[in-house]
Amino acid sequence: MKTLLIGASALALSTVAALAEYPERAIEVTIPAPAGGGTDTSARKLATLLEEELGTSLAILNVAGGGGSVGVTQFMMDKPNGYSLLATWNSPITTVPQVQNVAYDVDSFTPIASTSETAYTMCVSPDFPAETGEEFLAELAANPGKYTYGNDGIGGTMQMAAERIFQAKDIEAVAIPFGGAGETLQNFLGGHVDIYGGSISPVLPYTDSGEAKCLVVTSAAPVEALPQAAGLEELGLGSEETLLWRMVLAPAGTDQAIADRLAAALEKTVNDPSYVEFLATKGEVPNVVTGEALAERLRNEYDALAKVAEKLGLGS
Amino acid sequence: MDIVTQVLSGVFALGPIAAMIGASILGVFIGALPGLNPVMAIALLLPLTYSMEPLVALGMVAGIYNGSMYGGAIPAILLRIPGTPAAIATTFDGYPMAQRGEAARALKIACWSSALGGTASAIALMTIGPILARATLAFGPAEYFWIAMFGMASIGVLVGTDAAKGLMAATLGLLLGTVGLDQLSGTARFTFDQVWLLSGLDLIVILVGLYALPPVIALAEAADLKGLSAAQLKLEPAKVPWSEVRSLVPTWIRSSLIGIGVGILPGAGGNIAAFLSYNAAKSASDDPDSFGKGNPVGVAAAECGNNSDNAASMIPALTLGIPGNVIAALVLGALLIHGLQPGPQLFHQNPGLVGGFMVQMLLTSLLILAVGGAAATKIFAQVQRLPGVMLVPTILVLMAVGVYVINGRVIDLWIMFVAGLAGYVFEKTNIPLAPIVLGLILGPMAEQNVRRALLISRGDVTELVTRPISAVIALATLGLILFPIVAAISRRRRSA
Repeated sequence: MKTLLIGASALALSTVAALAEYPERAIEVTIPAPAGGGTDTSARKLATLLEEELGTSLAILNVAGGGGSVGVTQFMMDKPNGYSLLATWNSPITTVPQVQNVAYDVDSFTPIASTSETAYTMCVSPDFPAETGEEFLAELAANPGKYTYGNDGIGGTMQMAAERIFQAKDIEAVAIPFGGAGETLQNFLGGHVDIYGGSISPVLPYTDSGEAKCLVVTSAAPVEALPQAAGLEELGLGSEETLLWRMVLAPAGTDQAIADRLAAALEKTVNDPSYVEFLATKGEVPNVVTGEALAERLRNEYDALAKVAEKLGLGS
Repeated sequence: MDIVTQVLSGVFALGPIAAMIGASILGVFIGALPGLNPVMAIALLLPLTYSMEPLVALGMVAGIYNGSMYGGAIPAILLRIPGTPAAIATTFDGYPMAQRGEAARALKIACWSSALGGTASAIALMTIGPILARATLAFGPAEYFWIAMFGMASIGVLVGTDAAKGLMAATLGLLLGTVGLDQLSGTARFTFDQVWLLSGLDLIVILVGLYALPPVIALAEAADLKGLSAAQLKLEPAKVPWSEVRSLVPTWIRSSLIGIGVGILPGAGGNIAAFLSYNAAKSASDDPDSFGKGNPVGVAAAECGNNSDNAASMIPALTLGIPGNVIAALVLGALLIHGLQPGPQLFHQNPGLVGGFMVQMLLTSLLILAVGGAAATKIFAQVQRLPGVMLVPTILVLMAVGVYVINGRVIDLWIMFVAGLAGYVFEKTNIPLAPIVLGLILGPMAEQNVRRALLISRGDVTELVTRPISAVIALATLGLILFPIVAAISRRRRSA
């Protein structure tokens, strides 16, 4: 009993010490995607800045598969000691659980901070009979089942973002899932699908050349790079915003002091001019939401997408 | 002009140049070592280049690819062991030449033929590649479906002598390709509630297991072998007279064209190119009986054929996103990792990089002449003296590291191990491995695209064949399937 007490107090002491001196060793960052993807490059770039800010090294571990669920599931087994972090985009947390049977849910984490975000866009060819976001949705609504739209995969965030808008406007369009925005773009440019649905940066060269007319973005506000595209606020759908965004999470039960320390470090590094510039090359903007506000952001998105998924007949 | 400057300044930088030279030497080394193959080497080394500039990674791929295709000829000629599967046809005449004491001459011819074939192929990549790239936008899901079907049909026609075993292997590949989340419905297939199976079986993990483990096991079985004695490796420098060089020109042209043609076809590889060129050279010869008895033309045809497949196999990969062979699949992976989507936009978005890779394919072909020259060949031949007891553990460790690095999952090591044991059994039972891999690649491609095409046509099946391009590919597929049957029937009629 005595040894147990000593052991316990020693443990308590060491925890206090760890807090005071956190971080005192390398932090492992799990990225639930293969090396080289959007989340990976963003996180690696951020890690170099964070290393300086925190004064410790960050070890990146890419665990790919299952649309992110493999990496997140593996991350769930890590200890909540502040030395294991997850750098992910929103889909594995808010979208994938709608369609897959996963062992975690939106509340299984200690939220640290969101980092950056970008909207999805929907574009059509120059001869499509609409010039504004409003006309675009009206044309789709008037012709149920006539138009096809390419997206990043069934049950993916892009499809959810589109269907959220379509369901609000009683639009019926045929979803054609592709392997990613590049493949969608290829099929859109070749005229095999009517609407490009995907992230903004791949389609940008073609809006400049006039081969694509982007009419809607899935953010509430319009996007500067796509002047012709309407934001959802303008279309009266401000509450239906769905973005692609990135965040850092810790395992549930992580000490609040550590979480705050990390959130402060992230707030500073994400807004570092060099990082903002890096984000701009990928069409992303910084947006740091921390702590409980981040938990709420996740929960709201999860609930909204659950409704969309249910109407679509997807679901685990 | 802007693009030319961009390409050349990208390629002629310290990093890419060093990568090309280093990788070419390494490639010859890898090709020369039976048990090491370019697929494995590239799969192992690529993840290490993810943080580097894309042209360093691509220069490395080009060097290993071209270098190893020549390197495979060294043990094929000296020992009658094909260093790579593509060097099988090189053993036919190369080894008899070595037995006659003409090993150095055979190696020199192999070296020149490899370099020429590779160069011709790189030129095809530069000229036909960009033209195809512009035309590929017309390819939609229906066309991709037919391309996948054509690839599958060509496996059936080109693979092995035992059709039943070839079909078995292809079916196994197709079956393995269905594992994981179905991309079009989001349904999990054959995952048995295992999260790690949701994304399917990783192609590279399966490949490394299937192709690299069986030769390692074979090496271990012969581990008491001490390697070759120094006396066996003595090579006298050989002169190849101009008259002989001139006599090889028609063979080089023929083999280059065959290699390029096979390369563009998804589903066929360097080994098939080498066989077809060898057969073509034999049937074009005035003295077909001299083949197999040490005819230098046979060596030239086989080596030129397997190298001219290389760059051409990148044409469908770079323009359509369809890997013509396993190495092209790895290159596609490397491009994706650097955020580049293969396809028509690749040229639009990053001409410097695509052009740079093409130039690298050309330069590394020419580099074979330098690193594969008589002196280097002599040094590389010494590799054969490494005893198996040292090679086996080294290769195993390299394989494990490479496979783990891909997804960061221990389970992949088990998948590789199981795939490797299966590959060993298949090799012992003469079940070809290539159809498994191609089934794994082409199966999902065919399935997803036919379903996409039907979604777009609202279930109208006729649209699969009424679009002009898909109709042409469908007819070609039909022809590919019917041709051997018709030929067999007419042969039987004639003999009856």
